[in-house]
Amino acid sequence: MIWKEKYRIGVSMIDKQHQELFRRVEDFIVNLRSSGKWEDRQEKVKSTMEFMKEYVVVHFRAEEEYQKKINYPGLAEHQRIHAGFKEEINNFAQKFEEEGYQEDLVQSLAGKLLAWLINHVASEDQKIGSYAKSLGGDSNEG
Amino acid sequence: MKAEYVNPFYQATIQVFKLMLDLDLKRVLEADGADSQVIVQLSVSGDLTGTITYHFPEEMALKMVQIMSGMEFNELDSFVTSALAEIANIISGNAMSNLFERNYRCDISPPQVLTSPPEGLNTVPTLRLPLETKWGTLIINIALRETPS
Ligand SMILES: [Fe+2]
Repeated sequence: MIWKEKYRIGVSMIDKQHQELFRRVEDFIVNLRSSGKWEDRQEKVKSTMEFMKEYVVVHFRAEEEYQKKINYPGLAEHQRIHAGFKEEINNFAQKFEEEGYQEDLVQSLAGKLLAWLINHVASEDQKIGSYAKSLGGDSNEG
Repeated sequence: MKAEYVNPFYQATIQVFKLMLDLDLKRVLEADGADSQVIVQLSVSGDLTGTITYHFPEEMALKMVQIMSGMEFNELDSFVTSALAEIANIISGNAMSNLFERNYRCDISPPQVLTSPPEGLNTVPTLRLPLETKWGTLIINIALRETPS
């Protein structure tokens, strides 16, 4: 499991979603890194990637909604970071269309995504948790 | 080239390695470049101009990706180089924030993975920042100067 307890931000709705996101990322990477011919594996890799991508969108939206709800002052900056990452994923999607579903390209996407996600959850998202805590309410509800 | 450009990178690297990898780095005086390594370069523009080049020795590179993924990696494939390019990007981004606190406003370009060490390194004044781990020494070459106004 690539999820670590220190990624927890103290808002249970977001923590649950992060865990689900990490599960999907892990499932995608495990399939991507499995041995065997690419032709035989690529359908499974593709479907786990789509399953993961879907959740990235769902999760980003929910996380931004939560930030709005608590009037998080870093919302605009956080939205900008999410949008920038979605754009990079879309650039990969476009390359898949142009150059085909090449293993090398999928490996690059996965490596980048893993590093990006760990850093984002371990640093940027933590600020949401700190702010929620500073409001004094029980940030762990909901 | 001023030594004060180095500290923002030192602090950013220590912090990112701790946060993402639970790994400590120790600043050392010198280190030899590894035979097999991942080299990532970014350019800097704004108040400062130049390049930052990260040299990750192979063993360190593989361990870093292993720590993040919980999986074994045996060669420097595109997954590994792409993950390291992103880490270099994150470190550099944080270093730019540190520089901003010292009143330097700079931007970085997207990271490029190089297949061999960049040439002409000796013609540009460069500060080397070797940072040791138990899996080898990361070398960061910082070649920055103030942008002429
Ligand atoms: Fe986020």
